Amino acid sequence: MFGPSSLQERRRYYREEWSPNNVPNFILDEIIKKEFGFDHNGTGPNDRYKTFKGPKSLRRFLRAKAPFAAYVSVAYYQEPRRREGWEKAEYVFDVDAKDLPIRSCNCDGVCEICLSEALEIVNNLIDTLKSDLGIKNIHLIYSGRGYHIRILDPDMVVAGTGLRSEVLKYVAGAEVPKSKFSNPNSINNTYDIPHFMIPIAYPNVFTQRVKYDILHLKGNEEIDGINPKLLKDVIKYRGYLNNDDWGSFKANIGPRRYKDMERGLAKVNLSTIDAKVSIDLKRILRLPSSLHSKVSMKCVEVKNRENFDPLKEAVPKFVYERKDS
Amino acid sequence: MNLIPYINPLSDESLKIVSQNSNLNETFEYNNGLVDTINRSSNQNLESSHVPISIGDLAIKRINWYIERKNNKNYKLSDYSYLFNKDILKFDVIAFHMLAQAVATKFNISSRETKLFIESEGSLILDRLNRLLTNERQDMVDSILKQLSITQGSRWTILKDIIDNRNLSLTNLCINNGEIILSKEDFLNAYNDKFHNRRPESMYDMLVGENLKEQIVSNMIMLNTENYIKMIKEKSSFVNIHSNIEKLGSDVEKTISEEMTKYSTFYANANNFKIGKLIREAFPPCIYNTVNGVSSGGRNDAIVLLLTSFVSYARLYPGIFASEGGVKVSDIDKNLVITENEILPLIYEAADNCTPPLFEDQPQEKINIISKLGFGMHDSPDLNHEGETKWYTPMSCEKIKMHLPQLCKADKDCKKINNPLSCYGIKKNRLIREGKIKEEEKKN
Repeated sequence: MFGPSSLQERRRYYREEWSPNNVPNFILDEIIKKEFGFDHNGTGPNDRYKTFKGPKSLRRFLRAKAPFAAYVSVAYYQEPRRREGWEKAEYVFDVDAKDLPIRSCNCDGVCEICLSEALEIVNNLIDTLKSDLGIKNIHLIYSGRGYHIRILDPDMVVAGTGLRSEVLKYVAGAEVPKSKFSNPNSINNTYDIPHFMIPIAYPNVFTQRVKYDILHLKGNEEIDGINPKLLKDVIKYRGYLNNDDWGSFKANIGPRRYKDMERGLAKVNLSTIDAKVSIDLKRILRLPSSLHSKVSMKCVEVKNRENFDPLKEAVPKFVYERKDS
Repeated sequence: MNLIPYINPLSDESLKIVSQNSNLNETFEYNNGLVDTINRSSNQNLESSHVPISIGDLAIKRINWYIERKNNKNYKLSDYSYLFNKDILKFDVIAFHMLAQAVATKFNISSRETKLFIESEGSLILDRLNRLLTNERQDMVDSILKQLSITQGSRWTILKDIIDNRNLSLTNLCINNGEIILSKEDFLNAYNDKFHNRRPESMYDMLVGENLKEQIVSNMIMLNTENYIKMIKEKSSFVNIHSNIEKLGSDVEKTISEEMTKYSTFYANANNFKIGKLIREAFPPCIYNTVNGVSSGGRNDAIVLLLTSFVSYARLYPGIFASEGGVKVSDIDKNLVITENEILPLIYEAADNCTPPLFEDQPQEKINIISKLGFGMHDSPDLNHEGETKWYTPMSCEKIKMHLPQLCKADKDCKKINNPLSCYGIKKNRLIREGKIKEEEKKN
């Protein structure tokens, strides 16, 4: 586990453990419209534009080739073999545990701690997607080193990159909320209301995301716009946030530095998700059910997102039978 | 009088007015009713050059008004007061529809002329609403929202097209369980118990209120205008175009060309944005990195989307964001000499610096580069094709961070800007101040 798989192990996995039943229906139901891509030797997905008529032919291919990695397009095409006739594309959030800009662990790659934090983050994202934006048909996939949220909401699958990036910003908390509001009773008068005084809509999402960031800081992060002194003070006074006493927290940080902190953490929130993946209409993503050979973990659909434990549900059998396991 | 057509020229009431009163043969004929209405408009400048005498004239004046209002520091409302006289409604709706037909048949959908017409409509809506009495204004906005099917319980995705084109920010909306909240009643139902130290009613006024609703109305009508133009365009290939519509199209072209030539010169020099040779030393980090070649993911986007738009605007029209657009490459580079001898060579050089070189495995990207300069899907820029596609404005820093994060290595000049073009302006001005740019490089 967390180490690479040998060719023999990959063969064993695809012959003995892999089943088309583990491929989510949102892929199988329209498999003929999907482009598949494969990485046969660990150098990247060079074998692309593959198509399959059904689960049986996919099974035959995987058993024969035992690829290092298998991918499937987010897009549905009329002619997937040529990537033409684009019809729609899943809307995706890619949260990789190893790339989290703020994480509590000190590991180099991924570990139980950062995987657990990645799950907490995707759960927060899904809650906002559902409760605020009412987005439906959301699937969570454990990718091997993080999570993919794959969305098939009818409005989002046909959305362009502009809408996709707007939803991303909203859900991630990647933009400092508007704080200046005009006074409807006086044209020349404006109110300045910070995000934490508005417990609804996007300002509330931002408040929750920023609170998460602050409470998970270790103090050695390098965050654009937040200098070491500010970072130290944010950690020093973050105890106020346990009681949601943002007023005292801000007062201790100071108004100008608070704005720096807001901007810096908005950027952190954006970089928590791989935004390129979200706005790409033709990307290929790791195939759920396939093996992540770099770390010897299965890419699986998460059925119970609150209690999912990758170390119990995504470990291929061969890992337990390794001599050093 | 039903005032909805005064704000929404695409409402059912408006279409009825057009079908009952419009006569294309009379487009350029003296219209007594129109002139009489203009003469009765309060504070109207009645000099003959300011008084449209036909529906065709009125259509052109609508365009004139928008360009002047946006660009002319000495713009006088009194020259166009009649546009804000509610009695003009009947003539104005007909002028709008004739203009839409003229624009649809004469210009491409992504042309600056079409864009300008659509923008002028949005601007006129907001200005007109602004001049109505408060109650009248609120009733009008609520009625139009209802006509647009934006009602209680509407999903926010009903606004997806105007969010997608970034005319409305999702983060400024109040959305609960997927439903957009626009009325005070819905706001209080959803959030009444959330506020403890502030009156929910006041929070509604600030967070939603009339401003947001008006912004939605204006943007939705602009979107519908664009769709209306597309529809006319599709149908226009099957019908004969009336000669007066053709004439109106030519008049629009002439008017916009004359006005924009006047103001593009003005704005190109505004705010210290001076047209001049490209100064590589002033390129912001993302552009500098792109010119040196992109080796991994994002190579195509870096060259085609980021560099092409940046280099062309930096060289030809650095003041684009001060002037809010509406300009073509040939407005500045009349015979495309600069485009062919300075802009394209730099883009092609950067493409060659990529690993692997961009055109080696994807020669079709040359066509994409030409299209992003506004010259359609062709392999070289040609004035005959200009306007077939849009001249892409430079990507914002935010978009670069999403699309091409590996290229964004922000330096101190990047901190206070949100577009690499602004960063270029800052760096270039500093180099000029420090005397590091030779005199001949400053000149065009």
